[in-house]
Amino acid sequence: MSFELQRVGLVYPSRTGRVQALHDVSLHIRRGERIAILGASGAGKSTLLRILNATLRPSAGTVHIDGRDSSGLRGGDLRRLRRGIGTVFQNPSLVPPLTALQNALCGRIASWSLARSVRALVAPSDDEVGAALSALATVGLADRAAARVDELSGGQQQRVALARVLVQDPQVVLADEPFASLDPGLTAQLADLLLRICEGRTLVALLHDVALALERFPRIVGLRGGKVLFDLPASEVTSVRLDELYGGAG
Amino acid sequence: MKRVALGGAVGAAFILCWVGAGVAPSSLLDPANLRAVGAFVRGLFPPDLSPGFLGVAAAATVRTLAISIAGTALSVILGLCLGVLATASLWRRGPLVDGREGGPLALLSLAARGIARFLRAVPDLVWALLFVVAFGLGPLPGTLALAVSYAGVLGRVYADLFEAVPEAPVVALHAAGASPLQVFVAAIWPQAAGSVAAYTLYSFECCVRSAAVLGFVGAGGIGAEITLSMRLFEYGQVTTLLGAFVVLVLCVDGVSRALRGRFRRNAVHGSGLLQAPLELRPMRRGFRFLWVIVAVVAFAEAGFGSLLAPDVLPHVARFAAQLFPPDLSPPFLASILTPLWQTVAISVVGTVLGVVLGAILAVPATASVMFDPEARLRRLRALAYGVARATLAVLRSIPELVWVLLCILAVGLGPFAGVLALGLHTAGVLGKLYAETLEEVSTGAPEELRAIGAPALQRLVWAAWPQARETLASYTLLRWENNLRVSTVVGLAGGGGLGLALYNAVQLGFYDRAATLVAVVFVLVSVTDALADRLRRKPAVQRAPESGLALVAEAG
Repeated sequence: MSFELQRVGLVYPSRTGRVQALHDVSLHIRRGERIAILGASGAGKSTLLRILNATLRPSAGTVHIDGRDSSGLRGGDLRRLRRGIGTVFQNPSLVPPLTALQNALCGRIASWSLARSVRALVAPSDDEVGAALSALATVGLADRAAARVDELSGGQQQRVALARVLVQDPQVVLADEPFASLDPGLTAQLADLLLRICEGRTLVALLHDVALALERFPRIVGLRGGKVLFDLPASEVTSVRLDELYGGAG
Repeated sequence: MKRVALGGAVGAAFILCWVGAGVAPSSLLDPANLRAVGAFVRGLFPPDLSPGFLGVAAAATVRTLAISIAGTALSVILGLCLGVLATASLWRRGPLVDGREGGPLALLSLAARGIARFLRAVPDLVWALLFVVAFGLGPLPGTLALAVSYAGVLGRVYADLFEAVPEAPVVALHAAGASPLQVFVAAIWPQAAGSVAAYTLYSFECCVRSAAVLGFVGAGGIGAEITLSMRLFEYGQVTTLLGAFVVLVLCVDGVSRALRGRFRRNAVHGSGLLQAPLELRPMRRGFRFLWVIVAVVAFAEAGFGSLLAPDVLPHVARFAAQLFPPDLSPPFLASILTPLWQTVAISVVGTVLGVVLGAILAVPATASVMFDPEARLRRLRALAYGVARATLAVLRSIPELVWVLLCILAVGLGPFAGVLALGLHTAGVLGKLYAETLEEVSTGAPEELRAIGAPALQRLVWAAWPQARETLASYTLLRWENNLRVSTVVGLAGGGGLGLALYNAVQLGFYDRAATLVAVVFVLVSVTDALADRLRRKPAVQRAPESGLALVAEAG
C-alpha cells in the first residue's frame, strides 16, 4: 500500500476557536517503507496517523491510498480499506473481559460477517484458534492465550495488541507511540518484535524515542506545529535538526 | 434576596399542591373512618388459611411470577434492540460515525431513543388498561404491559451503559475496519455485559412488584385476587394474598441478590454499580436446560396461548384504529385540567410526605449509627433499629395501589387517599435507600471524627451527610419522577387524578379520549424528566448512569 498526501490540512473546532492541527502536509509513503515520525506532543503526529488510517478526513488537500482518493470512500469501501491497515495504539486498546486469544482474533473481524464475528467470539473454529495461537506464539505469549487481558502486564498487553495486528495481516502497520507506556528494557525488545512483524509491510511509527528512531528507521519525518519540518534519511538527521524540532517555544 | 424569592415561590407552589391534592388531615380522625379502618384491620385477622383458598393464592402467585418472567424476557429482547439503536456512540456522534452525523441511521437512532422514552413515560398500569381492552381479560395484557413498559426502561439503561464503556478498544476495532455492529459485538458488549445483567435483574425485581398490581385493571395474578377479595369484604383473604405477595417479593429479591453476587447496590454516588460490575460466568449446561423449561412454562402461564385464537388480532386492530384521531375538542381538553393538576399535586405532596417519614425512619435504620459499641442503651438502640427496618420493609413491600385501597377506607375516595398511599410507600423505599447510602459513606471520615470524640449522630451530620447528600438528592428526585407516573394511575383504584379520567374513558368506550389522556401523561412525564435533568447538577465524579439509579430507586 502506498500513501500520497498532498497539501493536507486539518482544523479541529474547539471552544477557544479553531485549532489548526495539520497545515500543508505533503508526504509520499511508498510500499514497504519504514518511516518514523518525530515531534513534540501537540505537533500533529496522532492526527496525521488518523488521517493515514482513514478514521479522520482532512479539511483541506487530498489523500490517495493506493491511488484512490480516500475522502470519497464511505461505509463498506472504507471498512475494506481499513482492513488492510493495522494500527498499534499507545495504550494497548484491548477489550478487558476477553482473553488474549479472543483479542488477537478481533484483528480479523473486519473480514467477517456479523454472524461470523459473533460465532468467532463464542465458539471459534479450529482454523481461527490456530491462527490466533500462532500469532500469540510469535509474540511469545502462547502460554497466556486463555488469560484475560486485564490480568496481563502492560508489556504483555502490548504484545497481544501486536498479535492482533498479525492476525489482521495488513499491508500497512501504523504505530502510535507503541512503547510510550513501557519501561526502557521492554522498549528495545518490543521494537525488535514490531520490526520483525512488519517485515514485508509498510510501517509508519510515531515515536518519542529519538535514538530508537534513528537507529532502526531509514526515513525520518519531523513534524512541528502541524507542518513537516524535515523529511530526511536517518543518516542526515543532525542534532541541529533535532534542536529545531524540539527546542524553543513552540 | 433571590433565595427568599425562590423559597417563597416553592412554598406557594407547595401550598397550591396541598390544596389541589385535597389534603384533609382531619378526615384521618373522623370517627366513621376510624371505625371503617378498625373493622378492616380486625377483618384482616385471622388470615384465610383454608386449603381451598391457599390453592387459589398459590396459583395466583405462580401466575404473577410467570407474568413477570415472560414480561422481563420480552422486555430484554425489545430493550436490547432499542438500546443498541439508541446508543449515540454507535450511530450519532464520536469516532465510529465517520462523518455520517445526521444520516438515516442517526435519525433511526434518535427515533429509538424517543420510542424508549415514550414506552417508559406511559405507566405500565395504563399500558395494561389499554391491552386489557385490546386482548381481553387475563394474564396476557399484563405480560405485554410489562414487556412494553420495561423495554422502555431497559432500552434507556442499556444505551447509557453501552455509551459508558471505555473508548480505546472501540476505536481500535473501528480502525481495523469493523462495522458498528461488529464493534458492538466484540468491544462494547463484552465490557458492558456484567452491568447489563445486573440492571436486568433490578428490572426483574421491579417487574415482579408491578405484576402484582396489574391485576387491578383485570390483567390477572395476585392483584386481581386482591381486588376481588376486597370487593367481597373477605379481608382475611386479603391478608393471605398480601402475605403470599411479600413472600414472593422476598424470594425474588433473594435470588436476584444471589445472582448479582458481589455487585454492590448502593455504592457512594452509585459508582460501584459501574466500576465493580458483575462478572458473567458461563452457564452450566444443566442450568441452560432449566432456563428453557422455566421460560416455556412462564410464557404458557402468561397467556400467550390466547394469541392463537382466530379473532384476537382483528380485534386488536379495531381497537387501535379507535384510538385515532385523539379527542382534542376544547371542552374535553378543559375538563382534563383539574385532574391534571390533581395528579401533579398528589405526586408532590405524596413525595414530600414520603421524604419526611422516610428520613425520620432512616436514621434509626442506619446500622452504623445504631450499633455504636461505645454508646449507652445499646439494647434499646438495637430494638429501635429492628423496628425501623421492619417498618420500612412493610411500607415498601405493599404496592402503592394496595395502599390506595387501604387509604380509601381511612379517608374516603379522592386524591387525599392517593397522597397517603404514595407517601407511605415512598417512605418505605426512600427510608431504605437513605439508610443504605448513609451506611456506605459512614466509614473513613466518620472514624476520624470518632477519634476526636464525636458521638454517632454528630458523625452522621458532619461526615456522612456531606458525602451522601448528592446521592440522597438524586434518589429523592428520581423517586419523585417515579411517583409522578404512579400518581397518574392511583386514580384507577379510586385515588383521583388523571387515572380516574382515563379509567372512565376506557370503561365508557371513549377510546379517542383515552388516547388524548395517554398523550397528556406522556407530555407531563417528559416535561418533569426534563425539569429534573435541569435540577440535577452535572456529577463531579464518574458514576452510574442516572437511568440506572432510577431503576434502583424504582426497585426500592
